[in-house]
Amino acid sequence: MVREITYLEAVREAMTQEMERDPKVFLIGEDVGLYGGAFQVSYGMLEKFGPERIVDTPITELGIAGAATGAALVGMRPIAEIMFMDFTTLASEQLVNQAAKLRFMFGGRATDPMVLRTPAGSGTGAAEHHSQSFENWFVHVPGLKVVMPTTPYDVKGLLIESIRDDNPVVFIEHKLLYKSKGPVPEEMYTIPLGKADVKRAGRDLTIVATGVMVQRSLAAADQLAQEGIDIEIVDPRTLRPLDTETIIASVKKTGKVLIVHEAVKTGGFGGELAAVIAESEAFGYLEAPILRLAGKEVPIPYNRNLEYHAVPQVENIIEKARELAQLKV
Amino acid sequence: MEVTKEIAEQYLLQMYQIRVFEEQAEKSYMAGKIHGTMHLSIGQEASAVGSVSALGPKDLILSTHRGHGHCIAKGADLKLMMAEFYGKANGYCRGRGGSMHIADVASGNLGANGVVGGGIPMAVGVGLGLKMQNEGKILLSFFGDGAASTGAFHESMTLSVLYQVPVVYVCENNQYAMSFPSNKWTTSEGLASFAACYGMPGKSVDGNDLLAVLEATEEAVEHVRNGNGPALVVCDTYRWRGHSKSDRNRYRSQEEIDAWKEKDPIERFKNHMIEKKTLTIDDIEKIKAQADADIENARLFAESSPDPDVSTLEEGVYAPW
Amino acid sequence: MAIEVIMPKVDMDQETGTVVEWCKNPGEQVKTGEIILVIETDKVAVDVESPGTGILEGVSAKPGEVIPIGTVIAYLLAEGEALPQGAAPTPKVESSLPTPPQEISTGQVVTPVAKNMAAAHGIDLNAIAPSGKGQKITKADVAAQLAKESAPVVAGKIYAAPAARRVARENQVDLAALQGSGPQGRIQSNDVFASLEQQDHQTQLQVVAPIVEPEIIPLIGMRRTIAERMTANYQNVPHIKFTSRVIMSGITEARNTLNAVAEKSGAQKISVTALLVKQIATTLRRHPYLNSSLKGDEILLHQDINIGVAVALENGLIVPVVKNADKKGLAEIAAEVNDLAARARAGKLVNADVKGGTFTISNLGPFGIEQFDAIINAPEAAILAIGATQLEAIPDESGQIVARPIMRMTLSADHRIVDGAVAARFVAELKTVLENPILMVY
Repeated sequence: MVREITYLEAVREAMTQEMERDPKVFLIGEDVGLYGGAFQVSYGMLEKFGPERIVDTPITELGIAGAATGAALVGMRPIAEIMFMDFTTLASEQLVNQAAKLRFMFGGRATDPMVLRTPAGSGTGAAEHHSQSFENWFVHVPGLKVVMPTTPYDVKGLLIESIRDDNPVVFIEHKLLYKSKGPVPEEMYTIPLGKADVKRAGRDLTIVATGVMVQRSLAAADQLAQEGIDIEIVDPRTLRPLDTETIIASVKKTGKVLIVHEAVKTGGFGGELAAVIAESEAFGYLEAPILRLAGKEVPIPYNRNLEYHAVPQVENIIEKARELAQLKV
Repeated sequence: MEVTKEIAEQYLLQMYQIRVFEEQAEKSYMAGKIHGTMHLSIGQEASAVGSVSALGPKDLILSTHRGHGHCIAKGADLKLMMAEFYGKANGYCRGRGGSMHIADVASGNLGANGVVGGGIPMAVGVGLGLKMQNEGKILLSFFGDGAASTGAFHESMTLSVLYQVPVVYVCENNQYAMSFPSNKWTTSEGLASFAACYGMPGKSVDGNDLLAVLEATEEAVEHVRNGNGPALVVCDTYRWRGHSKSDRNRYRSQEEIDAWKEKDPIERFKNHMIEKKTLTIDDIEKIKAQADADIENARLFAESSPDPDVSTLEEGVYAPW
Repeated sequence: MAIEVIMPKVDMDQETGTVVEWCKNPGEQVKTGEIILVIETDKVAVDVESPGTGILEGVSAKPGEVIPIGTVIAYLLAEGEALPQGAAPTPKVESSLPTPPQEISTGQVVTPVAKNMAAAHGIDLNAIAPSGKGQKITKADVAAQLAKESAPVVAGKIYAAPAARRVARENQVDLAALQGSGPQGRIQSNDVFASLEQQDHQTQLQVVAPIVEPEIIPLIGMRRTIAERMTANYQNVPHIKFTSRVIMSGITEARNTLNAVAEKSGAQKISVTALLVKQIATTLRRHPYLNSSLKGDEILLHQDINIGVAVALENGLIVPVVKNADKKGLAEIAAEVNDLAARARAGKLVNADVKGGTFTISNLGPFGIEQFDAIINAPEAAILAIGATQLEAIPDESGQIVARPIMRMTLSADHRIVDGAVAARFVAELKTVLENPILMVY
């Protein structure tokens, strides 16, 4: 039996084991030390590694991103934590203009192996400034890799791989998944970036989902199985680089695809996925339009009920998937 | 500084309203009636009431994530405010903003902010607009020691002086940026001295002494209203509660918290007024009872208010609504 | 005043009914309580009594049509009375007529966003039914209307799924000649495949012709229900099957003794089926999993033992149920089985007769079938298929070959809830009981 730990513990274990293995790795961010991180991800790491390697900062997101970018440029492997993904807006100058482009604009003679970890997503009642999903902003930037793990197992393997990767990686965690549990081997392992995972095999319909929507799609698929609708769920895990092969193969098999993500639909990653499918040989296997189910065109509101309805829930996925499977669209 | 009985009663009532409001919000939160999180300013009441009291009714404020005190000091309707905490349709933001985004634009509160330092760059723009409109209005922009370390603060100070905007900046130094102690990089005097670096007057005061805050802010307001450009006041204070509802207070000791509770701004003002014979114990008890009743009414109003209709979810993103 | 004849709801979970036949013709005078038509639910046929007295007119449902309950299917008119306006045609399940636009009162609330959107797209707000709270027309309602109004089919263009286009291209099929089965007539790949099969079929016909056209029987009523249930049960329930050989000497002897007594007293004879029902019910008491159902995430171990007895009919099959068979005496069971079978063949079963079964037996022995297996009647956990009793040569205990009456029975059980050993133990015990009928009283 493989031991079970939470998603949050998997993040901490990946950082801890990699820091033990490689003295060049360090963590920097707001409240990552004594406080243990806003979500307690780094709790206990200060005692283990000391303030030299668990670096607390004042409120200065641009400073954190810059410190990580610069330290990586001279050979360190920093992990920067931005407390909420909403605040990556403040860090993005260094990340987007500097870190992402260093290698290319220096003619391949610079390496910037940093990871920027940040929790995204709604569902906590934290309203407009603490609930956003910006993954596609970073997917749009050549030079960045974007990782979005959805299970404790994937978190550990992908985070270790991200730290070892020689490129800047935006590692997006989901707040609602922090407490989810799953089997995670104690020893170190890596999962390659750019490899999707089929979280559930099925014949009738493909759902490509990211973040917490993977779990919601799995729940929806279980219910639809009782109606005889057999759903395949593909979790890209890495949005950039994207494993187009697995997605295309699945769509060729089922002929119907529903894309589910939490971020606002317009300009979201679903549009990219839909285009990738439509441009591929999977196009000729489509029996119905490619559908997207995503966040409504609103900021995340405070009221619990409004917040609930602002992003896809299990029942919305069931309804949309059923419609598509039964060719009502 | 001398105050009349009537004014003293008003200040004390507002400080009590802030404290009781936040205690009630905390209770409702723990009872599961309010969700999300909130940032309580219990212990900082004098800083809010003292500074806002230096403004005229037409002046504006820009607040922070720890902004309930600012909002009440500016004269907010406690019922609408509590309804917003409960996420109700008739709250200040129709249930869309909650604790961290309370605004009452009509009465001059341009809003709290979920991003540390998020309000300061806007303050420059508000100041610029007020200056262009030339109606004699000024802005009081709150921020904390945490925001003082952001780039946004320093860029904004540069512009404020450059454009000579009518803005009083009030930095509430409550000693911690979440868990990060501000004394690791600066002090209240250090924060005030930023003003001189940029070329504006700056002063630090005991933020738990309402009259000291009032006096310093009045001085700054006068400077600003006379067209001399911005000014900075730093209020040295302390939040009794954690940063937010998920804070475990690992970064500070109980002794430190207790020591600051000894400097309770409400007790200090009360005792001072009794000493001065401006207020009697009987007066004070009546004021406290008034605050209790006001908050209880606000709670009852909030709990009996309707929830927003889900069908309106996507409305209000763009003008016109 | 015309009296409406509607498709009645005669069953709890019924949504539609099928017209089997009209017993009265249009123009004919009918009286209250007279049978005017026969309908069929998915379970039984029901006679529908006339709701009033008058002349039958405006019959809008033909035999074989599936009609939603509550739909008006005819009228009873007074002498000289005309059909009410808009009486026919009546909407069928397969077709839905657009509802006429309703006048929106001045008090109608429209959200500003909805109003702007409707104006921008030239949509008539009167045509929209509000879904928001307080009968408010919202943005979503306008969007839904917009989708409804924009037809996807453009004249001169073919509306087909990409997959259908690919399959058509690969097989040189002209899409213009195809009817689409998808939403709004979209051609799906299956439509192309179907046309390919048809082509193959026609090619074969040309080679083998001439051929007599097959007689076409619509799949309706009981036949449709049987088809759907059998497919679902066969596909969804993993069957395990166990066959055992039972020496019937003991039971035959017991039956002869019982019937000799019955004959003298003029009582009803005891059939083999009745004996089997009794023995099985008694045995099931000790094997609760064979008398259970899988419902969602739960296994229901039924306290009642209700044995369904499959009865073959001319146009299908029905399974009346002997309730609490373990608690009833043999004579009582025998009488009940005879009565149920007789009423089943006469089409006189009522709903209660076919409900509540927990275990089914199917006896094809009378047809001389030696051995077969049956599809479980879900949600029941098992069914027992009974073969004919025939003399066979078998070795006795001393190894001598002797002739004995042998019956083969096959249990099909739902493997999700019944393990192999559990089923085997039941079959073994049943065999023992059947071979030693005296154990029945044990």
